[in-house]
Amino acid sequence: MVKKTYTFIMNTRNLKLLIVLIALVCQTQLFGQDSTGRSKALDLFNDSKDSASGNVDSLMNLTNQSKIINELAGSNPYRAKVDTNIINRLDYVSIQQMVKGNAAGIYVAEPNGEPGSEQYMFIHGLKGPMLSKKDLYAQQPVVFLNGVPLIQNSTMPLEIQSTDFNMVGPATNLLATLNPNDIESIEVLKDPATLAKLGPIAANGAIWVQTKSAKSGEKQISIDGHFGMTQSPKVTPVNAAYENAFRQPFYEKYATAADLINYPIYLKDSTDQEYYGTADWTDLYFKNKPFYAVNMSLSGGSERANFRFQVNNTRSVSGQDGAALDRYGLAFFINMSPLTWLTVSSMINANRLDRDRNRNIRDRLAEVRYTPDLSNPLPPSYHVYSQYIHEFDEAIDDNKVNSIQGYFSVGAKLSGFSFLSKISVDYNEALRDAFWPTELLSGNNFVSYYFGYNQRFMVSNTASYEIKLDDANKIDLEAGQSYQADINKYDYAFGYNTPNNFIKFRTTKINDAGDYVGIFDMQYFPFFGKLNQRLASFYGQVNYSYKDYLKLSGVLRRDGSSNVQQDQRWITSPIVNLSWDVLKSILHESKALSNFELRASYGTFGSLYNTDIYSKGPRYVTDASWPADPAIGSYVGIAASSRPYTSGWAGYGIGWQKSEKMNLGADLGFMENRIQVSVDLYNENNKNRLLPVPVPQELGYTAAYKSGMTVNNKGVDLSVRGQIFAAGNQDQFAWTTNFNLGLNKNKITALPDGLQSVVIGDQKLEVGQSADAFWVYKNQGIYTDIAQIPVSNQTGVRQSFNGLLLNAGDPNWADLNGDNDINENDKVLTGHYMPTVTGGFGNDFSYKGFNLSFQFYFALGQKLLNQQISNRLNFINTEGSRDLNTVKEITYWQKIFDANEYPMYNPWSNVVPYQVDQDLFLEDASFVKLRSLTIGYDLTSGKNERRKKAFRSAEVYLSATNLFTVSPFKHGDPELVDYQGYYRGYNQMLPKTYTIGLRMDL
Amino acid sequence: MRSIKILLSTCLFLLVAASCNKKLDVDTNSMANESTEWKTLDDTRSNLIGVYALFRAALATNNDYWMWGELRNGDFVSTTRADLKAVIDGDLNASYSTLDEMKSWRRFYAIINAANLFIERSSEALVDPRYTTLNHDVDVAQVRALRAWAYFMMVRIWGDVPFITNSYDGQFPAIGKSDQSIVLSFCEKELVAAADILPFEYGVLDDPLLPGLYYTYGLTRFENTLISRNAAYALLAHIAAWQGHYADVDVYAQYVLDNYSNSNMYYLTTDELTDPSGVFYARGDYNQLLGFNFVYGHGETGTSGEGHLESWTLASPLITKPKPDIYVPVETINTVFTDRMDQRFGIDTLNGLPRTAYFTNYNAEIPIFSKIKVLGDGGTDGEFAIYSSAIIFSRLEEITLLKAEADAVLNKLNGVDGAIANLNLIRNKRGESSYDKEVDGDLIDAIFAERRRELMGEGWRWYDQVRYQKITNKDPDFVKLIQEGGIYWPIASSVLSANTNIQQNPYWINK
Repeated sequence: MVKKTYTFIMNTRNLKLLIVLIALVCQTQLFGQDSTGRSKALDLFNDSKDSASGNVDSLMNLTNQSKIINELAGSNPYRAKVDTNIINRLDYVSIQQMVKGNAAGIYVAEPNGEPGSEQYMFIHGLKGPMLSKKDLYAQQPVVFLNGVPLIQNSTMPLEIQSTDFNMVGPATNLLATLNPNDIESIEVLKDPATLAKLGPIAANGAIWVQTKSAKSGEKQISIDGHFGMTQSPKVTPVNAAYENAFRQPFYEKYATAADLINYPIYLKDSTDQEYYGTADWTDLYFKNKPFYAVNMSLSGGSERANFRFQVNNTRSVSGQDGAALDRYGLAFFINMSPLTWLTVSSMINANRLDRDRNRNIRDRLAEVRYTPDLSNPLPPSYHVYSQYIHEFDEAIDDNKVNSIQGYFSVGAKLSGFSFLSKISVDYNEALRDAFWPTELLSGNNFVSYYFGYNQRFMVSNTASYEIKLDDANKIDLEAGQSYQADINKYDYAFGYNTPNNFIKFRTTKINDAGDYVGIFDMQYFPFFGKLNQRLASFYGQVNYSYKDYLKLSGVLRRDGSSNVQQDQRWITSPIVNLSWDVLKSILHESKALSNFELRASYGTFGSLYNTDIYSKGPRYVTDASWPADPAIGSYVGIAASSRPYTSGWAGYGIGWQKSEKMNLGADLGFMENRIQVSVDLYNENNKNRLLPVPVPQELGYTAAYKSGMTVNNKGVDLSVRGQIFAAGNQDQFAWTTNFNLGLNKNKITALPDGLQSVVIGDQKLEVGQSADAFWVYKNQGIYTDIAQIPVSNQTGVRQSFNGLLLNAGDPNWADLNGDNDINENDKVLTGHYMPTVTGGFGNDFSYKGFNLSFQFYFALGQKLLNQQISNRLNFINTEGSRDLNTVKEITYWQKIFDANEYPMYNPWSNVVPYQVDQDLFLEDASFVKLRSLTIGYDLTSGKNERRKKAFRSAEVYLSATNLFTVSPFKHGDPELVDYQGYYRGYNQMLPKTYTIGLRMDL
Repeated sequence: MRSIKILLSTCLFLLVAASCNKKLDVDTNSMANESTEWKTLDDTRSNLIGVYALFRAALATNNDYWMWGELRNGDFVSTTRADLKAVIDGDLNASYSTLDEMKSWRRFYAIINAANLFIERSSEALVDPRYTTLNHDVDVAQVRALRAWAYFMMVRIWGDVPFITNSYDGQFPAIGKSDQSIVLSFCEKELVAAADILPFEYGVLDDPLLPGLYYTYGLTRFENTLISRNAAYALLAHIAAWQGHYADVDVYAQYVLDNYSNSNMYYLTTDELTDPSGVFYARGDYNQLLGFNFVYGHGETGTSGEGHLESWTLASPLITKPKPDIYVPVETINTVFTDRMDQRFGIDTLNGLPRTAYFTNYNAEIPIFSKIKVLGDGGTDGEFAIYSSAIIFSRLEEITLLKAEADAVLNKLNGVDGAIANLNLIRNKRGESSYDKEVDGDLIDAIFAERRRELMGEGWRWYDQVRYQKITNKDPDFVKLIQEGGIYWPIASSVLSANTNIQQNPYWINK
């Protein structure tokens, strides 16, 4: 039966996974033998003297790789762990959602409510500035699933895109593959001690996810499921009359006759019912939509072998624009101990993710790369909008991800020695099939096909040996090695104007010369990309412990990456850790304290590049295109080659980036550990980071990549967990409270070449300032009269903006250097988009089988730049613009701000008064949210013996998420900002959901 | 027993713990590096083409070729685009991002750097027996001509510019501006030297100058997209004209007029000028004397419309866009096209209907400038508005008018090669009557008026005005602008901040 299931999930295309499959089949057979009486041949090796207890579970503990991190994680088990009781009754689908606000030291950005869309995590702040989306990807922490580091998408496809809203392909969050109920623990790894053995892959921190493991004993079945509804948000839809009323005052005050001629056609005619009629598009866009999840797991086994099997089906929706995510998951775990000193363990976790994506015009045109006329936006009427949606019936928008992770490990334990050898595979493939019929693209249709895969193969081995010198002194020695080979590949093709909306591909025929030629004139563009990355690591560790209170450990590791140039390929990094149990060593006994441990660790880590372009020294590329068409590669049909003038020079001598981490921590327990507190102070120097530094443009390059930037992160992580009332039995009142907080501040402490500041695009990086600071003009109001504009004493000329003389109706921007010209030098670095304080708090009450819990999430101190309002006010320049950043979606027709909050500038002025880079649009984006509320009832509580017999446990619950937000930001949800801190207003809201669920163990 | 276990476990460990260093040398297929480049004929070919491609990109970005040459003080007016209006009005300090990019000369220096690198490195590929010395010489001559052309373009736009003939590969010295006369005299020298080596055409088997296929391709592949000897002379003529060295213009331009048939060129009919598959079509014919094309079939057109004037000028009924970004107003059309018989635009005397090869919807409030309208692969389907028109810097008619201009200045009015003969050659080709001083005014005025008509939308209007005012000194405001250096563009702040040895052109401080 088991075998059958595997063939069901196997995609026949993936030959590479056959290896894993075969390994599993072998195991299943061994397993079969085991349950019917083990093979005698295996028994030959059996040596009862070495056997631990003979039970697979305890043997697993001896050889389990999770030991790698847990041993050093400190004495407070809740220090950086997500409380699974918080998440397992909620409709979260991604690791990011589960971690968000539930562990100290990590900040999760959920910039979009669209299910399955990408979300981002930052452990201990920014490692460097976010110049492009590539930097965002390069700073993501690694996620380990049962010790398998999960591979993520590469950023290669961004090279062929002129926009970075979405990467081509399904752009699905690859971390949306786990079901909260299958998770045993999620731990955020952030200090050098816990990251030591993980190496460069974890230089940005790591998330360590353990799923529920196989258990020996009677077969146990767990079933859980939930069903829920989203609730449509309250928005104020508006029609053209509102927009007209907003614009008229500007026209009355500043317009010339010529400007009036160019008044937008759709606003001209107030009898036009489509634009001036009822704005009832919201009835179609927002819908209360159902979602659900069902999970089943089965575990059991004999003393020497056990298994766990789980299946899952989840649907997640946003209730907006029909967006949804469907997940089909299946996982299988086997552990066994064929010999009393040998364990074999394996995992297969397979998922299928299907996304129904939004119908945004912007996102679609970004993929289509052809911008038709945009002068008339979609009208706010239900009628026209429903016709528009109807056009999608003929469209194809399939987004599929198949993902499979697996490992096969063998562990051995022989008096003092233990070995673990593990082969891990992570493979995911992404398919996107898109077809937009002619009606959606002013008479043209568009077809595209994407297939990409990411594959990681990893072999790791560790050997350890324990030496007990005497009763007090103990030494553990460990050596490890790993080799990781990653391949990221994609093939992508798009084309325009297939023969018709029914024939969606390029048709060919054989001509007289025997060549295949197109029957119809159809332009199509194929692309491909492949990235090979490899990482080899070796480490040695010495753990010394004195009695039971002092532990000193040192790790020395050597890592080589294929992405670093040959002469600097290997990096040696030391990590040391000291932990001292103060309670046991000095205080011995204390009434108040039940735990008091101090920890200190320090280490450096090589930080990986997520591209191979720096690995070979100066390079030659195809640089034949211009920004709007970034994928042109030839001239007269002959491939072009040149230095990478547009992307920047990268020469020899580019070595490893380093992350130097230091951590001081204390774990405290009070009242028999009913209150557990952990405080960690950290200081992290991300050194030798590569930065594209602008060079004299007269050599043709935009920039040269130079090493030498350092970004420092300092901060405090605090976590508190208290059982205020501990229940003796489940009928009594119990109250548990949790609180976590991360304080983080980043600062640039060095720039390449000893530079003090550097301007890259619209960002300025300055030593001593934060890497995520906004760089804006200071707005001081408006010049209503030309006489108000300052005049230079020397020249007698009035103030100018970048050399252009200011006029009445222009903004009063601060001239900070007093040269009577407002320019870059008058811009200031102010505010930042990473929060200073993030965290969460919540409470859990239970009484007589009922329980109530709620969880708040907060992020404080960050700002955002409101591009959306800037675009609205800058209507003269954004009207009919082909810039996709200004496309009007159906959601344009809602009231988002009050024009009276802003000065009334002359929108026709050549200084562009409403440009976004001024503090007029800088807003405080701090927020506190009630993220979840759950009420549950334990069906087996009380005296119902029948139920107690039937179920090991059973619970029904009601839960709700995203209930309310408190924020000074009034123009939307402050969480929906992009990775550079801009609020653009295109993303879907995080939906309010209400769920009813049932969980039971049989 | 125990030893077996240890042995077994050790084997297990060693099985996979092999040496990894070799494994870390991974080939990449997305780029070439120093160990693979400049080794073969294929490398010189792709790097030569790379220089052309960089040049095309420099002109195509944001339609900058027309931002620089066509808009300022020109015949076009903007409908709704404030950035284009600012350029037309000469408000070059306006705060639009498109203007920022236009004010940066980096893209020209990318061409120059690639050219310098090619000149320095291409001889390394001579180790490849397929790469002949002749082939190499012709390659280098092309690249020198392209470099000179890039400098000339920059001098026209910014005046004094940094003068660099070394690639400094991997180094980034901050080099200040040089006097434009030094730069231009270098360009002239380079072009004269290159012209000696350049063939009239590429890929012709029995060509006396460059026999055989060129990089395995025949003449039909290249037509006149690569720099020919005629192209080099045309460029020389323009460089001389910009400096007012009209005696040299006379010689250089005459060379082209004597030899154009060697490059398969001929004088275009009005139909060939305005047809979607005419001279502006990428693979139309050989008549793009100097220019860059975008071959639709090779996916070079792009889908954004950039690099093609049509993306600004076309609108309904030719494509679905309701209004063009820029247009020539009716009054301007009527002022510019004075001859009723003009095939480009004229009012038929008999039926009173306009003859409108250049314009569509002449009678509407906003006429569409449709001289250039290469839709798709040289077609007319306006539903899918992708353009493949070439950027043409010079064609035979243009160089003929330049010759006429020179002769008018030099007072060589009559004779077979005289100014009037060459002017009339073009006028008659377009259906206009021959030059008549009574009707058409001064000869120099008539020549520039003809250029205005013939080259409308080809990126000449601004430079023609500059040359015209330099010759005639007619408009005192314009003359003042020339004297103050206002005819040059301001320099982008990204350029200034990256090199402190460069100062802003003084005219643009406080405008």
